[in-house]
Amino acid sequence: MLLAILVVPLVAAVVAWWGPTRLAQGATVVAGAATFGLSLALVGRAGGRSQMALGGWLRADDLSLVFLLTTAFLYALTAVFAMGYVGRRHDPRYSRRLYAGLNLFCWAMAVTPVVNSLVEIWAALEIASVVSALLVALDDTDGAAEASWKYLIIASMGLGIALFGTVAMYAAGASALGPAYHMAIGPLLSVAHRLPPGLVRLAYLLAVLGFGTKMGLVPVHTWLPDAHSEAPTPVSALLSGALLAVSFYAILRYFQITGRAVGYAFPREVLLGFGITSLALAALYVVSQRDLKRLLAYSSIEHMGIMAIGMSFAAPLAVVGVLLQVLAHGAAKGTAFFGAGSVLAKLGTKDLRLIRGGIGVLPWTGPMLVLAVLALSAAPPFGIFRSEFLIVAGGLSVPSDGVVAVLVGLVVLAFLGLSWWATRTMASPTPAGGSTAGATVARGETSAWMVAAMAAGLVALAILGVHPPSALSHVLSRAASELGVGP
Amino acid sequence: MGPALLAVSTLAAPPAFSGVADAIALLVVLAEFAMLRSALARTQVRLYAFQSLCVVGLAVLLAALRHVPEAYAVAGISFLIKVVVIPAVVLRLLAGVETEVAGSERLKVASMTLIALAVAAFGLFILEAVPVTSTLPVAALGLAMAAVLVAFLLVILRADVVSQAIGFFALENGVSVASLVLASRLPLLAEVTFFFDLLVAVVFFGVLVRVHHGRTGTLSTEVLDRLRG
Amino acid sequence: MELSVYTIQLVQDLMVVGLAPFLSGAISHMEARLQGRRGPRILQPYYDLAKLFSKETLVPEQASWVFLAAPVVAFTCYLIVPLLIPELTTFGLPLGYMGDILGGAFFLALAAFSISVAAAETGGPYAQLGSSRAMTFAALIEPTILFVTFVVAIITTTDLPYAEAATARASLGQAVRPSHILAAFAFFLAVLSDTARIPVETHSSTLEFGMIDEARTLEHSGAAMALLKWGSAMKQVILYVLLINVFAAPWGLSSTRDASSVLLAIPIFFGKALGVGFLFALIDNSFSKLRLFKITEFMAAAFLLSVLAILILYVGHA
Repeated sequence: MLLAILVVPLVAAVVAWWGPTRLAQGATVVAGAATFGLSLALVGRAGGRSQMALGGWLRADDLSLVFLLTTAFLYALTAVFAMGYVGRRHDPRYSRRLYAGLNLFCWAMAVTPVVNSLVEIWAALEIASVVSALLVALDDTDGAAEASWKYLIIASMGLGIALFGTVAMYAAGASALGPAYHMAIGPLLSVAHRLPPGLVRLAYLLAVLGFGTKMGLVPVHTWLPDAHSEAPTPVSALLSGALLAVSFYAILRYFQITGRAVGYAFPREVLLGFGITSLALAALYVVSQRDLKRLLAYSSIEHMGIMAIGMSFAAPLAVVGVLLQVLAHGAAKGTAFFGAGSVLAKLGTKDLRLIRGGIGVLPWTGPMLVLAVLALSAAPPFGIFRSEFLIVAGGLSVPSDGVVAVLVGLVVLAFLGLSWWATRTMASPTPAGGSTAGATVARGETSAWMVAAMAAGLVALAILGVHPPSALSHVLSRAASELGVGP
Repeated sequence: MGPALLAVSTLAAPPAFSGVADAIALLVVLAEFAMLRSALARTQVRLYAFQSLCVVGLAVLLAALRHVPEAYAVAGISFLIKVVVIPAVVLRLLAGVETEVAGSERLKVASMTLIALAVAAFGLFILEAVPVTSTLPVAALGLAMAAVLVAFLLVILRADVVSQAIGFFALENGVSVASLVLASRLPLLAEVTFFFDLLVAVVFFGVLVRVHHGRTGTLSTEVLDRLRG
Repeated sequence: MELSVYTIQLVQDLMVVGLAPFLSGAISHMEARLQGRRGPRILQPYYDLAKLFSKETLVPEQASWVFLAAPVVAFTCYLIVPLLIPELTTFGLPLGYMGDILGGAFFLALAAFSISVAAAETGGPYAQLGSSRAMTFAALIEPTILFVTFVVAIITTTDLPYAEAATARASLGQAVRPSHILAAFAFFLAVLSDTARIPVETHSSTLEFGMIDEARTLEHSGAAMALLKWGSAMKQVILYVLLINVFAAPWGLSSTRDASSVLLAIPIFFGKALGVGFLFALIDNSFSKLRLFKITEFMAAAFLLSVLAILILYVGHA
């Protein structure tokens, strides 16, 4: 099954590049659904042991599964959404590139959590980064050129730092595993306590800084709002929901090894610092944002900050929350970006000051976008409410009351910003005319596919919030204990 | 009265491999300092080619002295991509561009040099704080870190497209030095993937130079300010 | 025949005093040849000195006794420094322990200072301009020289020039260690600046606006001018000695007190010095002078090299 995950998106990418648009669309939807189905099956089969394939080259433990599931779910959703998104542009070159790129991008991200080597994790992220930079540049506008250039340079430099971290970790491991070894995760974890602490610390710092660039941690987040806002909508959704998550996965692997090598206090403190700054800056930007997609991008930074803070609590409960948040944030952010994409397609603007009467113009997308944004700002009954609740509860159980207070305060600030803009743009009455964008557009949806994708995202969010399946809950709690976060 | 008076205790010279590795790493850093202040885009590209050649030399040295045959492969691919292809392509892309990158410095050259020096010192001292096992050329590692940090400064302190691209390429060279001295048997996959990134960056650079220069008539990034907030 | 150490000490000073004009003449001759000119005779500086000594010495009206004392003080300083540095012998001479590198640097600074004060005395605008510029750039190049000294001090645990030379001679590893080479190169740049060479200054120019060191002596004449000219030639030899016999090529010095080997060390040194002079002449011909405000970049480059030398020595023992 792991092997299939390796193959299916690649086949779809090949088909998309050489086949006609119709076939590419079909292949992508099938590949997305298949990948999602496969990861669900893997979750169902998970029993506390890591599942191997290809002679140990692929490895999926519970931690991997969380991220694989997130990526695969978004892959499937995006494939459906893209049916509608591309359907309205009749440019075979554009759709060929978009589809091939999407599949390749999803392949790299799906492979990241299941390869069994720190070097390969880095390499897969690197491929994902390069492909996504190309995808950001796909809309041939000034903004897209600028955003993709910034993204490429900053993300590549970040990955350069991450490679430095990988090199340092390799050297640390070489002292226990011999000069030539494949940086497989299992053996590294088992010898972690014998690794030289200085080098491991260095490797961890560099990895957090490097992968943190991709994850959107402040102060190395600067590419993120630009790339998210200028990319084609399906790409924005994947960037935010999946790419940030798998970058976080890479950091968590270093967290795991570093924790066993030098104790958990050091890696926690590093994440706490990055998390607080990310959350604080993002919350402030959310309040003062004027662009719909940038608003969502800063909300991503905010959530990455929350996850980093959650990891810094020495409580398994908080870690379960963080991992749940990875899943829920993927679903919610994907849905919200789809909604934003529909609004953009319908009204032709992303400017929050010009969008009015969204619900009136888009009878399905409008309310669902409001719901998705509410879900993002942690309103019950959606998944993020549950996950943030777990994080806060975990923080209080340790106890780290001060950090929790800051966390809750900033989350409330972001909540206010998000819901203010959501209600103002969507739930306002349809204007009769004038300067706003909603005035001149007829009522009606752009595409049923886009609506379907959003609906599926919301359903998943509700499931995660109301009652997560027991198999998933077990995976989450086992993954949390794999991370080794005891007191 | 005589030679006996001069019997002072001296700091032992480094072993041959470390000494040469340190010297090469030093050249890599110095090339970056030169890039930081160079007024001509072509000079920067040539400095980059020189810097890459230093890295290739280090790889060959390592392969020969430490008996790491993989390093020959790294050296060969690096030479082809970083010394030949990338400089040639970038120079060719710049051939049609009349404007220069002179004047894109955000600070005066002397101040930039001093800041870069402080940053490089920071990089060296980070590595000094890490008790690395004895056989490694610590200075080379510290210099690799310094090269990475100065490459960041190159991207930050020079507001033109060429410097930004070259800054990223130079960063890659710094990381290469680190991986050669610290983990010479790191799977080749990493290097090769990074080369892929370099090549894509060159393609982007080409598109950007053509589009950007065609539209604004400059190579400056000061006009890339549509996205903010 | 064994020479006494005091005789060798004397020979050292006589060499610097006597052959300094020769080195200057030889370098300007090479420079002219590189430019395709026939150039002055190699012995021309001696004739110039003789002519200046036979002329009357004029003193500006406002100037005090400092104006005339300065050339003598400077010349004396340039006589003292050669006693401290390894010119002919690998072993230290008795007066060589009077001062370390810093001691030598103090005397050189005192000489520069007294010349600048004398220039300021005159009230002549160009001399004062030169004086202020010279002091500014001296202050900027000073950190480089200090850091080079630190490199020597860290390597040898002393800051005796003799010890550094002995260390570099002792093993090839020491001579090619990166920090040593960097320090040598930084010192090379400092020498370029201190001997008024391109890219800092055109030493043979007559254009007052580009002058730094040379402008300071514009108001002097006669014997005082002769002493200044002679002194500056001696300073050049002293800096060459430090560059060659401490850093770049400390080989070919006499290791015994035997008269023939000590005397043989003189032509060997001048051979090396002519090589360095040729290099300087080449640089003079292939680079252009920096604008005054760009000179800080040159100084920053020299400083960069010296600091990097210290850093890699301190951090990595490279």
